[in-house]
Amino acid sequence: MPFTVLNSRMVEARIGPGQRMFSQRGAMLAYRGDVAFTPNIQGGQGGVGSMIGRRIAGEATPLMTVEGNGTVMFGHGGHHVHVVDLTGETLYVEADRLLAFDGSLQQGTMFMGSQGGVMGMVRGQVTGQGLFTTTLKGQGSAAVMAHGGVIELPITPRGPVHVDPQAYVAHRGDVRNKLSTALGWRDMVGRGSGEAFQLELSGQGTVYVQASEEKL
Amino acid sequence: MTGPVVHDVYSLPVDDNVNPYAFSVDLNGQWFLQKGKMIAYYGQIDFQGIGHGRLDRLIAGSFHSPLHAADWVVAEGQGKMLLADRAFDVNSFDLDEGNLTIRSGNLLAFQPSLSLKQSIIPGFLTLIGTGKFVAASNGPVVFMEPPIRVDPQALVGWADCPSPCHHYDHQYLRGFLGGLRAHTGIGGASGEEHQFEFVGAGTVLLQSTEQLMPELATGGVPTEAGVPGGGGHVPQSGSQLPQLPGNLGSLQRRFGL
Repeated sequence: MPFTVLNSRMVEARIGPGQRMFSQRGAMLAYRGDVAFTPNIQGGQGGVGSMIGRRIAGEATPLMTVEGNGTVMFGHGGHHVHVVDLTGETLYVEADRLLAFDGSLQQGTMFMGSQGGVMGMVRGQVTGQGLFTTTLKGQGSAAVMAHGGVIELPITPRGPVHVDPQAYVAHRGDVRNKLSTALGWRDMVGRGSGEAFQLELSGQGTVYVQASEEKL
Repeated sequence: MTGPVVHDVYSLPVDDNVNPYAFSVDLNGQWFLQKGKMIAYYGQIDFQGIGHGRLDRLIAGSFHSPLHAADWVVAEGQGKMLLADRAFDVNSFDLDEGNLTIRSGNLLAFQPSLSLKQSIIPGFLTLIGTGKFVAASNGPVVFMEPPIRVDPQALVGWADCPSPCHHYDHQYLRGFLGGLRAHTGIGGASGEEHQFEFVGAGTVLLQSTEQLMPELATGGVPTEAGVPGGGGHVPQSGSQLPQLPGNLGSLQRRFGL
């Protein structure tokens, strides 16, 4: 079910019988109709196996299942909310940035090392994402949180996009990313520009960037 | 991109927002404002604490919870006054022979033609009458019509509708697993077992996040039979004990921790 954007920090979702969505625990602001919120120990979809996988990967954010018939308003912590509509692609996002998402989306966990090997793992450490990230795939929408507003940068095969790792929020599509470094002797003596690490994204897709270098 | 806009005393808006985070009051007479919310002013304006001498009469007219009056100052004089609160969104609202109840920490200033009373819901204040007031919210305010159930932290206030009641997700709490979780916190609670429920005609004001402004200690209610919260317990502003998950939190309180 699509999200309706109420303002920059609040979205509204319609939920109908037989539908299901997941949201971060405690992120409900208000609701109309007959809606039930159940804490989800497993932290999302899949069986116990997926749960263990997420626990190990550190991508187990407390989630709750939202079911029923009505409209629910979501928002959390004063963060800006950005709605991403997926039509078959995969969204790569940190689990704690996910405010709410459709139950129709397939949730998975990805090892950073599988995108760029050792450098991918280094990237995870630098960006504070850790070694794992969450993937959402399929048809549906997801509401992603960011500190400050979100801009979308298209990634085209013509050239890579460089993003500050701290301002990186999420990306989607068929994108390869690697950490590019511009470390010089200045950085070693503490006189660097502060932009020694950049995230280089290439391929076909979109990257979401927040207008702040603060983490959630 | 435009550069910063330079305002002077004539170009400042009259009783309107300068930007989403600052409000300009065209003062000609008196306004009440919460302590520390004035950021700048033009003209001749005196700021006086309430409860001194000649302002006593004013208090009798506008304040009906004397314990609370210490949190307020009277701005008196002529000029333009800018109000802001920690970069929260600021908005003005007009009341016309109406009533509006608002979280005490969110109210910044109001015209003396309104009278301020303490709501029977702890931590909320009610404004009655005709006039303008300025309130802050974390993110823009969203207006909703009842029937609606609202997360207690996301509620800014309500106008013209009956006071809310508590709503518990009974079906969930009654279930074995749900009850176990809610009482022990083991397995996690969804955090949404309890809402404020609004019914009837009116408007409900929501802020778009659950982050609260530190609550101001509104005056305690008299210890008297039949008065809700009459135990004399005044919430301390901002500082709350870390609560154990689930209902063990109330055990904590019972033991006086």
